[in-house]
Amino acid sequence: MTAFLDTLIPVLPEVLVTITACVVLVADGLLPRGQSRGVLPAMTVVGLALAFLGGPLAPPSGQYFGGFVQIDTFTTFFRAVFIVLAVFATLVAPSYLDRRGIPPGEYYATICFSTVGAMTIALSTDLITLFVGLELMTIPIYVLAGMQRRDRFANEAALKYFLLGAFSSALLVYGFAWLYGVTGSTRYIDVATELQRIGLANGPTIVALALVTVGLGFKAAVVPFHQWTPDAYDGAPTPATAFMSVGPKAAAFAAILRVLVSGLAPLQVDWSTVFAVLAAVTMTGGNIVALAQTNTKRMLAYSSIAHTGYILAAVAASAAGPSATAAVLFYVFAYGVMNLGAFACLLYFDIEGSRGATLEELNGFARRQPLGAFAFAIFLFSLTGIPPTVGFVAKFLVIQPVLDAGYAWLAVFIALNAVLAAFYYLRVVVHMYMYDPDTGAPIVASTRLLSTALGLSALATIVLGVLPNSLYAWALQAANPLLR
Amino acid sequence: MTIDHILTLLLAVPAIGLLPLYVFRNDPRSVKQVAVVTTLFELLLSLVMLAQFHVGDAGFQLIEQADWLPSLGIRYLVGVDGISVLLVPMTTLLTFISVLYSSGGAIKDRIASFMAAFLILEIGMVGVFVSLDLFLFYVMFELMLVPMYLIIGIWGGPRRIYSTLKFVIFTLAGSLLMLVAIVAVWLASGDEGARTLSLPELLASRGRFSADFQFWVFLAFGLAFAIKLPMVPFHTWLPDAHVEAPTAGSIILAGVLLKAGGYGFLRFALPLFPVGTQLWLPVIIVLSVVAILYGAAVSTVQKDLKKLVAYSSVAHMGFVTLGIFVLNAQGGVGAVLQMLNHGFVTGALFLFVGIQYERTHRRLIADLGGLANRWPLYTTFFGIFVLASLGLPGLNGFVGEFLVLLGTFKFSGVPLGGLFWGPVAALGVILAAVYLLWMFQRVMYGPVREAYRALPDLSPIEVVCAVPLVVLTVLLGVFPQQAIAIIEPSLQQVLRLATDPGFQVAIK
Repeated sequence: MTAFLDTLIPVLPEVLVTITACVVLVADGLLPRGQSRGVLPAMTVVGLALAFLGGPLAPPSGQYFGGFVQIDTFTTFFRAVFIVLAVFATLVAPSYLDRRGIPPGEYYATICFSTVGAMTIALSTDLITLFVGLELMTIPIYVLAGMQRRDRFANEAALKYFLLGAFSSALLVYGFAWLYGVTGSTRYIDVATELQRIGLANGPTIVALALVTVGLGFKAAVVPFHQWTPDAYDGAPTPATAFMSVGPKAAAFAAILRVLVSGLAPLQVDWSTVFAVLAAVTMTGGNIVALAQTNTKRMLAYSSIAHTGYILAAVAASAAGPSATAAVLFYVFAYGVMNLGAFACLLYFDIEGSRGATLEELNGFARRQPLGAFAFAIFLFSLTGIPPTVGFVAKFLVIQPVLDAGYAWLAVFIALNAVLAAFYYLRVVVHMYMYDPDTGAPIVASTRLLSTALGLSALATIVLGVLPNSLYAWALQAANPLLR
Repeated sequence: MTIDHILTLLLAVPAIGLLPLYVFRNDPRSVKQVAVVTTLFELLLSLVMLAQFHVGDAGFQLIEQADWLPSLGIRYLVGVDGISVLLVPMTTLLTFISVLYSSGGAIKDRIASFMAAFLILEIGMVGVFVSLDLFLFYVMFELMLVPMYLIIGIWGGPRRIYSTLKFVIFTLAGSLLMLVAIVAVWLASGDEGARTLSLPELLASRGRFSADFQFWVFLAFGLAFAIKLPMVPFHTWLPDAHVEAPTAGSIILAGVLLKAGGYGFLRFALPLFPVGTQLWLPVIIVLSVVAILYGAAVSTVQKDLKKLVAYSSVAHMGFVTLGIFVLNAQGGVGAVLQMLNHGFVTGALFLFVGIQYERTHRRLIADLGGLANRWPLYTTFFGIFVLASLGLPGLNGFVGEFLVLLGTFKFSGVPLGGLFWGPVAALGVILAAVYLLWMFQRVMYGPVREAYRALPDLSPIEVVCAVPLVVLTVLLGVFPQQAIAIIEPSLQQVLRLATDPGFQVAIK
């Protein structure tokens, strides 16, 4: 028995998050309705906090579970990212769930399960572990998207997400099968060694590479595999959207880094140019469509596609060495904080019958809810990439490996896209600050918990923008294990 | 009196002022007092800084540094030299005047947010002039953007939203390309682990920048500064922004923000990329002369008073770039003086147009007239600034433009030669006299309208705002020698770096 428990210690944080999810589910059944409203989120946050603290207790770097699991600085970085995002998604949710009559126990448990899946991706050393993690992360998200059973947009969102998600998983696993066929192994290290031995890419490796790229591209919402994103984000309950837009995306990039940068490193010349082109198409496509949106929720959905493009640019530049991977990690963290915050700001507007705020509904928001508007403005400036916010530092860090790897045109693309994005992000600020409230403006929902969570992440956006050094040093450290 | 860490203190004071501003946010009276006291203190502090500056040294002084992003070799590095040391007190003075004027009743809505925006703006503006690390400079350059965007967009005129978005998008387009160039400079500055963005070290390693590299990087930096300045053909945001901005916003926009462009050329573009400077110089000189003539010609036909002053700024900034790029001491000193003078004079012109608008609610020249009979005080002040702006000898505007023209006549490194471009640019001075005097005549003289008879002359607060500007206008006009002595050594240093013969060979 103790021997079994010992084997669990390396994955203590994952175990703790799983236990949290189960405990929340049980408690939901036992507690009376009135009590569960406040107790469940508190339990979730405590459980996640324990998991966060449990990370350092686990033994340091090394492989466990017969080499299927690897704990290193990369793992710890992503564990922290996912837990922080889950805590945030929990904190902003309670009053919304209450208003919409969404069962709270299921919501928090699903978030936790999805988080475990994302964490599993980060500690994978093997295509199989990765795939298990990916599915464990995505399936709860399908549920999250469709949690409002009676809402037809939620149904559409869940169905679309499920069908395309299943499709992309199939492509991905098919690609893994080809990889196994070519190299005779599913372990990244062996895959890399074998590919190195084979030398130049031949037919089968190209097929494997293409399938894996498309599969992961779906998960990360890379143009042209992004069509599910806007509808899924739009139809899902807003707190779930906030989580969906950052958690799975961060996990997808963890997977891309593990598979491509470490497993398929020998094929880098083949995939990096493709990724550079995909990055350019993704950021431009996302931004151009976002420009045309009048609903802020859809606009943020498209803008999150554009951000995928920026992160992808850094992936494409991985020839530049650790600075590229560190830029991906830094951007993922920064994007998590600011994008979750931006989506969560829409919770102020979430009124019966509306799915997200239109620009007109935002009119004069600054007068009605000064601090909420201020936080929203900070997230939007950060998403634009204006200093002194973390979004600016992230852009700076991404441009640097991109130039270093010789993609000067891509760096210029990033800059021009940021200008394009500035237009629609700042238009939101215009509506909040520069128009007077309409007489028919919806009543703004406000909760203390939401404001606190938003205030904290807005503060983090500024503080990490002014003092980015420790986060960057951490990202550099986390990038190390990928480069052998 | 010597104060340690004075430059950091200059950056910190407005930030500290934000705290009481937040505490008293619901009490307009206290908000105004906090803002005025903070900016006054900042002004006095910047004068102490000026007194601590050692005149005659070419290098950077009052340097402070600290690690910021050590893994990238990025540092917090601030310092001043003869070029920037005068621009800092100019900034703090204009900010103080703007805040003082706005607290006199010009801004009624959301006054706490307005003052907060001004304090943040002040950090950015002072920061731009004291930053010696490109990363820090970029942060400060952009920090000026957001408050001004809000100032125009919230407290501006009827078309404020169109104007403020145009202003932001134009500026961002330039500065984000500059960001790419900054990263490129960082990558080229050394081998991995030894890269840097701080100016002194970049100057030491600029030999690594190839001619081709300098061509592109100079273009990116140049675009950012040309849009900020603004140079023709990137000037179209300026008239819109000025017309819609509240008076205080216009004062700062014209007085300080435009200078960031000219200053950027002198501080970073010229010394870091001498080859790029040589390659782009003919284009910039031609565009400067075009700006001088075009700005003046368009000013002449303006019907709106504020637009007229805005277009005259385009012309005046043309003198700045012309002076910088003729690459000689007269031109350079003239350009820096022109930046200072334009700050004081055009800031004052916008202040007076604002004061007038506050009373008459009219900005169209055709709607005004005869004000001289009712407002003797106003007319005197306004007249002095108009004369300074058109370059009357004895007032400050003359000194800068004269030196720039002198420098241009001497310069031969451009097609057709300085002896062609100099006289052409001088036409701009004549045109300036035409449009400014004609405007003054139509606005101030003639029969007074019935509706304006009862309007009062300048209030005490407005006189307090105007007096320091008048004093400086006369002082810099009659005794420019002291200012030139401060500017010249550092400017010579920049020119030596920009015209380094070792780099000129590289082109050929």
